[in-house]
Amino acid sequence: MERRITEHPILGTIEKGRKVSFTYDGKTVEGYEGEPVAEALKALGVMVHRYTTKKHRPRGIFCAIGRCTDCVMVVDGVPNTRTCITSVREGMTVETQVGVVPASQVKDTVLKGGIMA
Amino acid sequence: MKRYDLVIVGAGPSGLSAAIEAAGYGMKTVVYDENSRPGGQLFKQIHKFFGSKEHHAKIRGFRIGEELLQEASAAGVEVQLESTVTGIYEDKEVTVQRKGHIEHVKGDTIIVATGASENMVPFGGWDLPGVIGAGAAQTMMNLHGVKPGEKVLMLGSGNVGLVVSFQLMQAGCEVVALVDAAPAIGGYGVHAAKLARCGVPFYMSHTITKAEGTDHVTGVVISQVNEKFQKIPGTEKHFDADTICVAVGLSPMSQLLKMSGCTMSDDPKRGGQVPETDEYGETSVSGVYAAGDVSGIEEASSAMIEGRISGTRAAYEMGFVSEEDEIKELTKLKNDLLSLRRGMFAPGNKGKKIEKTEEGINVSQNLLTKGYLSEAEIFRYPGICRKKGLHPVIECSQNIPCNPCQDACKFSCINVGKDITSLPVVNPLAKCSGCGMCVASCSGQAIFLVDEDYDETGASVTLPYEFFPLPRVGDQGYARNRAGEIVCKAEVISVKSSPAYDRTNLLTIRVPKDMAMKARFYADRAETKAETAGGAV
Ligand SMILES: Cc1cc2nc3c(=O)[nH]c(=O)nc-3n(C[C@H](O)[C@H](O)[C@H](O)COP(=O)(O)OP(=O)(O)OC[C@H]3O[C@@H](n4cnc5c(N)ncnc54)[C@H](O)[C@@H]3O)c2cc1C
Ligand code: SF4
Ligand code: SF4
Ligand code: FES
Repeated sequence: MERRITEHPILGTIEKGRKVSFTYDGKTVEGYEGEPVAEALKALGVMVHRYTTKKHRPRGIFCAIGRCTDCVMVVDGVPNTRTCITSVREGMTVETQVGVVPASQVKDTVLKGGIMA
Repeated sequence: MKRYDLVIVGAGPSGLSAAIEAAGYGMKTVVYDENSRPGGQLFKQIHKFFGSKEHHAKIRGFRIGEELLQEASAAGVEVQLESTVTGIYEDKEVTVQRKGHIEHVKGDTIIVATGASENMVPFGGWDLPGVIGAGAAQTMMNLHGVKPGEKVLMLGSGNVGLVVSFQLMQAGCEVVALVDAAPAIGGYGVHAAKLARCGVPFYMSHTITKAEGTDHVTGVVISQVNEKFQKIPGTEKHFDADTICVAVGLSPMSQLLKMSGCTMSDDPKRGGQVPETDEYGETSVSGVYAAGDVSGIEEASSAMIEGRISGTRAAYEMGFVSEEDEIKELTKLKNDLLSLRRGMFAPGNKGKKIEKTEEGINVSQNLLTKGYLSEAEIFRYPGICRKKGLHPVIECSQNIPCNPCQDACKFSCINVGKDITSLPVVNPLAKCSGCGMCVASCSGQAIFLVDEDYDETGASVTLPYEFFPLPRVGDQGYARNRAGEIVCKAEVISVKSSPAYDRTNLLTIRVPKDMAMKARFYADRAETKAETAGGAV
């Protein structure tokens, strides 16, 4: 399933930065330099960015402009980073956040992290 | 502390317009915006705007944004990005958070143009990933080129819901349904009709019962509601969807104004908590102005004029412009603003049920509930005429401030008149050259060229087409009617694109003669989405 729009009837070819690699929950994935991490993950089919602290409810992008904090993840080790206003950089690490820690540090096997279809 | 003649908060259409005026008069002006790029909402708007020439009508939103940025840089405006204004204090001291620290600046005058934030309604599963704001959908697809989802259900039938639904389809997503608890569609009929003829079903008097899915949205259940907006049991319908897009209104982001001590009032017609202002946007605190959506939810076109008014007024108050020039400029701007605030959708008409047009013609109820004009209603409107040979058919039936169709026709086929909210009238005596400029210029995509005498058995219908892939001459497909139903076979006989059409392609199809006044869209396949969606629960 192609989630990126390559040719748009009004916008034409959508200009993108350089293709770079970063890690998402330990896997090496690709995105474009300068685009928000949230959009790069969206293009990969990731829906869940974090699980809430108490009820472990999944959260993903809601506002896409840095207001709602639904999209926060652990980026380069820093929790609560709003991925919709953080740009993709070569070599960065992005991890699903559970409460305020990366999912890899949580034993609960129910929390598989995001979806990669 | 840094000092400016004018500090503007927000680099959207209103803030930038205010800055252009003020800097043009020589004021030392700074504009702060929390975003990494200026333009506010404008760069997400890829459709052609309404209004008249003075209001940048028929120009796409993002191009207006580019023009504003050029004007601002030519006027010497300083724009500071990734700079959030966190407070406005006594003596017009402003705190700005940027790059991790707080700066203090002082302005002799301040214009707050912070725009609006999106409203949310709760429903079961509303916090699931896949439930997104309409603005988020626009940000993803129009700024970053990523599809928000594959199958999207839109909640909200105001202009935002209608416009974003169409943009989702342009991005290659499927819109499975448009749902609104209100009994009538809130936005412009022409925007609704664009969706209906593509086969998007409208569910008015319906609301979302629940979003399904454990980790993210996989489906949606909607139910009908009664006059008291209570769900009617047994009316549930299910849709497969991976995305629910919420467009249930905007609220002014007026916290800064409140904080600075401005007298506020709660005005549902303007979207919530708004500052009390005079006609120039000056609040109860002398020298503090509000312009654009923050002082009442309207549109980019009015936000730009409000910005220019506040900018000019501020320049006058500070002695940068003579009274004579100020009066001349403000009179013009106020007239431009008044002409936009007229018609059925004028701020004053919010919530009112309008039965007749200004011309005294009955308003189409079908358009308000289903999103399209019925065949029985269509001939009431002055844009619809039947005659020999090629002629325009204008399916624009509500009084909206808009007239690019009139400007487009160099052959006097189309007349809106002095009053830009009047319905466009087709002159049956004028000869149409078939140039297609009216079809491409119509912001509502409501104009078709029809020739019932195309050949012995067929008629031709030319329609605006803004989707990919573009059909090719010789393609054999099907025609949809206004309701989006497949009504007959259709052959593509011409596909025209031109810089003058600004990416609206003109598709001409040949259909049987009796379909000339029915066929309004082209489909390459025979299935209708309306038939496959909306199953019982
Ligand atoms: C889907 C959609 C379709 C639309 N279609 C049309 C249309 O066809 N025609 C039309 O005329 N209008 C249309 N509009 C409306 C139009 O976009 C808005 O009315 C217009 O953008 C309002 O302009 P503004 O300058 O007041 O606010 P905005 O464009 O929202 O700009 C406000 C700016 O202020 C910034 N800001 C806010 N708070 C702060 C702070 N504390 N510090 C620093 N910066 C801050 C924001 O980041 C933003 O950039 C549409 C809107 C939407 C959502
Ligand atoms: S096709 Fe050209 S000549 Fe005919 S009505 Fe439209 S603008 Fe006028
Ligand atoms: S027909 Fe004319 S007035 Fe109506 S939407 Fe189109 S351009 Fe505007
Ligand atoms: S999606 Fe709302 S802050 Fe990122």
